[in-house]
Amino acid sequence: MGAQGRIRSGRTRAERRAALLAGYRPLPGTYDEFIDAAGSVRPHWEPFLAEWCALSQAELTQRFGLADRHVHDTGVSYRVHGDIDERDPSAGERSWPLSHVPLVISGAEWQAIAAGVAQRAGLLSMLLDDIYGPGEIVAKGLLPAAAITGSPDYLRPLHGTPGGGALQLYAADLGRGPDGRWWVLQDRTQAPSGTGYALENRLALTRAFPDMYRSMNIERLAAFFQGFRAGLVARSRRVDPRICLLTPGPLNESYFEQAYLARYLGFLLVEGGDLAMREGRVHVRTIAGLKRADVIWRRIDGDFADPLELNARSQLGVAGLVEAVREGHVHIANGLGSGVVEARALMSFLPAIAERLLGEALILPNVATWWCGQPQERETVLARFEEMSVAPAFRDAGGLDRAPVVVGEMPAAARAALREQIATQGMNYVGQEVVRLSTMPVYEQGRLAPHPMTLRVFAAATPDGWKVMPGGFCRISDEPDARAVSMRNGVRSSDVWVTSETPVEQVTLLPTADRITIRRVTGTLPSRAADNLFWLGRYLERSEATLRSVRALLGRLIDADAPAPGRIRALRQLAELLVAWGAAPGGRGQTPASQAYHALHSLDDYGSAAASLREARRTASVIRERLSVDAWRLFGDLQRQLASAEDRRRPEGETYELADRALKTLAAFSGLSQENMVRGPGWRFLDIGRRIERGIATCRFARQFADPDASSESLDALLDLTDSQITYRSRYLLGASLQPVLDLVVLDPFNPRSVAFQIERLDAEIRDLPSLTEDGMLETPRRLVLRLAADCRTAEASRLDRASILLFEQLLMGLSAAIADRYFLQNGGPEGSRLTGIA
Amino acid sequence: MIYEVRHVTTYGYSRMVPFARCILRLLPRDEPGQSVQASELAITPRPAERSDGLCFFGNHMTTVSITRPHRELRVEMRARITVERPAPPHPGLTRSWEEVAALALASASLAPDSPAHQFYPSRLVPPVPAVVAYARESFGAGRPVLEAACELMARIRRDFTYDPDATEVSTPLAEAFAARHGVCQDFAHIMIAGLRGLGLPAAYVSGYIRTIPPPGQKRLEGADASHAWATIWCGPETGWIGLDPTNDLIVADDHIVTAIGRDYADVSPLDGVLVGPGSQKIGIAVDVIPVG
Repeated sequence: MGAQGRIRSGRTRAERRAALLAGYRPLPGTYDEFIDAAGSVRPHWEPFLAEWCALSQAELTQRFGLADRHVHDTGVSYRVHGDIDERDPSAGERSWPLSHVPLVISGAEWQAIAAGVAQRAGLLSMLLDDIYGPGEIVAKGLLPAAAITGSPDYLRPLHGTPGGGALQLYAADLGRGPDGRWWVLQDRTQAPSGTGYALENRLALTRAFPDMYRSMNIERLAAFFQGFRAGLVARSRRVDPRICLLTPGPLNESYFEQAYLARYLGFLLVEGGDLAMREGRVHVRTIAGLKRADVIWRRIDGDFADPLELNARSQLGVAGLVEAVREGHVHIANGLGSGVVEARALMSFLPAIAERLLGEALILPNVATWWCGQPQERETVLARFEEMSVAPAFRDAGGLDRAPVVVGEMPAAARAALREQIATQGMNYVGQEVVRLSTMPVYEQGRLAPHPMTLRVFAAATPDGWKVMPGGFCRISDEPDARAVSMRNGVRSSDVWVTSETPVEQVTLLPTADRITIRRVTGTLPSRAADNLFWLGRYLERSEATLRSVRALLGRLIDADAPAPGRIRALRQLAELLVAWGAAPGGRGQTPASQAYHALHSLDDYGSAAASLREARRTASVIRERLSVDAWRLFGDLQRQLASAEDRRRPEGETYELADRALKTLAAFSGLSQENMVRGPGWRFLDIGRRIERGIATCRFARQFADPDASSESLDALLDLTDSQITYRSRYLLGASLQPVLDLVVLDPFNPRSVAFQIERLDAEIRDLPSLTEDGMLETPRRLVLRLAADCRTAEASRLDRASILLFEQLLMGLSAAIADRYFLQNGGPEGSRLTGIA
Repeated sequence: MIYEVRHVTTYGYSRMVPFARCILRLLPRDEPGQSVQASELAITPRPAERSDGLCFFGNHMTTVSITRPHRELRVEMRARITVERPAPPHPGLTRSWEEVAALALASASLAPDSPAHQFYPSRLVPPVPAVVAYARESFGAGRPVLEAACELMARIRRDFTYDPDATEVSTPLAEAFAARHGVCQDFAHIMIAGLRGLGLPAAYVSGYIRTIPPPGQKRLEGADASHAWATIWCGPETGWIGLDPTNDLIVADDHIVTAIGRDYADVSPLDGVLVGPGSQKIGIAVDVIPVG
């Protein structure tokens, strides 16, 4: 380990260890994961502790920094419920609260947990098949029908369908009681979240402690995901099925995780609006037309999946999905009706059901539960009311939030009201034993402190049966009170390390050579993704144009030369330009300097650099799975640079510098997309957006500055704005004069900033887009760009005037609309209206 | 009684609709007390896809996709039905309502006609304390369930005003209850909400009642359109009994059942989503003619 050599801070490993342990005091009456009742470190934590103590304070800080930077760079985030700004979906996101100490669990103990979770997954899976099939468990009296029918997730239209309740991914929230036994606090069968966060936590912590991770033989996670994916593939009749991850969209609290998993697993991230039903099958709207979806991994609640047969108020699903399931044309995981077995009402019946269905006792018991829909159980709960916790028997039942409430802590009036509710509407409630959770160490203020935690463990249905992720998603409460824990109340999460006695097998998601088919075209691009990439390109280019104008304006302001009439006019023209595209307010009170300030920072002026970047980030945030980590980081940098500066009277030189720096960051983004993005349709739409916007902006620049009596200062500004100064100087010895400048800026196909260059690029890009017509006719975008190219190639600088430049500009805008019509809104777009109801 | 029913629905759109997907629940149920001799559903424009089947509750359900651009959708249902229901039990001889509630809660059946499906709130019948309190007035301790339910039905008929302009399909039941106004759909929902609030299983029924009254009798409300009422479970021996609060009638041979569900959303005769903005105009014509 070489740990001896690391001792630099003056304290030995032994001293550090003693100090850490001296400060760690488990809470009375609770189980602590780290220290046993006698006060000694539990043996499976020893290797961790040894490695930890080998690091000095400075080294630890540096390691934490690595983990935090990973979290920050990948943009791991979650959203707090209700924390939503429609205009900016990324606004309510919180950065990920990672705790730097993993939960260490010994391999031997883990085996029991894994066996228990796999058993439970299998049991609930069988129960689902029975509920949506023959209904024998109920008929035999093992489960009252009313413990099922009260659930809003019992979806009757799925009855008798293939896979109506099929379970593919199951999660159990576990807690450990004071006696050291693990309990199931809650089953998750609807659409369990957390696998992606578990993976992210793992990546962050291994970045911080790579040596520790290796030497401790920690079980790897990749095999679990491989099995999960193989399980989904096996559900399809096609060998190479198209698997979609159906997300509620960027406003969902775990959208980041969904985008992350889609990218990691190679699934297509889709929203309901991306799907279309044709001939009884589900299709994805792509730029190459409708493409069949074979398997859908849903992260929306089943009830929301089909506004026609299920919840009519849903905006998230696609009408006709249930019909497709009924016909067996699509497999949905988990089955749309799978949420029904999450209900707490079921918990008290599971032991007997396990005995009957499996012939086994439950390995992992659930927390003791009494469903108040049964007279005797209701009496038990009411008799021991004060010492119980009460929870809704079904999602949203009885006016309670999802989490259990501890009756003894309720205000007297609320307690009486709840008692009355249970007496009259008992079926909506369960009583549960109050759980006291175990604690684990959290590093804070230079020492370890015990905090209560729960552990979410995942099981996937694979072709080889149920497989449990060796690790999980550990949630740590900030409160010392070891009872209910909710992610919404600002808790931390940590990685879970399952130690192995033997070296662990290395698995990555990379397929082996004999199983991989080489291909160069990456699947199909959904129309919505194309739409967003296109607009991302346009907004980025728009902010660049604004930044260039600001820089040109300030450069002329700063210049100490005596103000010549030509220069004053050029200044005015630049300011007008900013006003004309909504980057800055006009009017008397404004000076060029204040306008430059607005154009840079103001979020209220829609054309400002900051506002365009906000839009760019908004469009990017819904296609996050398509952007690299590096690209995403540049957004952060840009936003920081343009974040409204407090000092409005800062020197113009500084504002100039700021615009200049932002332009450099933008250039880095262009460089990334040029150098690092595969030249697939995704890149193509990003580029088409940029080219169209740049073409339009250049036309506007030319119209503003190149009139017949333009001064050399105005033409000079135009050359600045189009970054063509150097080329011009190298070609012409004289100062700027109208026709050569116009030729260079508008018509020269070799100048990468000219209008002509953009049009040539557009011609090339659009030629390579898929065509939907089979009759040999040109599609509208192609026709428009050919006309543009012909007009541009045959134009002469001597005849170019504002009107002909305006025509180019309008044709470019027409092209933009035609592209949207053809590629983004094909087939008229998603179903938007509903028939008026009739009684 | 034998009936011929014709039910025509037309939607006129202000703009061309390129795609529509609809669910139709218009064909009447074949069930004890009611047999369907013949029934058919004609849809124009002709759907590109059509599938016919039964929903969970045993109602006929037809789903169609229309891919031909159209400005009018016309759906015509025709059926010939014989209705011969057994006489209802004497209300005073049914089990006590408390017993019925306990039996429903303990039910060991998930079959479509199980009472277990019908005493929890549903989407259009949320728990409304005021409605439950209103219903409770008829449910004294130990009272026979059908006797109490019939009294509740009579009170709704007495206390509420039938007014086709007062509510729309989307009016929440709490609002209709507060206004004491509504149509058959509202009265059915209100009655169901009251019964379920007491733990009693009650379901929603869509259908028709005879248009032409027997000589000398008053024409019934809701006869020129499709109708709706409630059905209540009175225990395993008696089963389900239909109660029509709009007309204060125990359902007998004047009623034709189309579909049964938890509320209107489960049985809405015609529902659909379509592409394209624009407004809609709806026309409905219903004829229910006794032929023998």
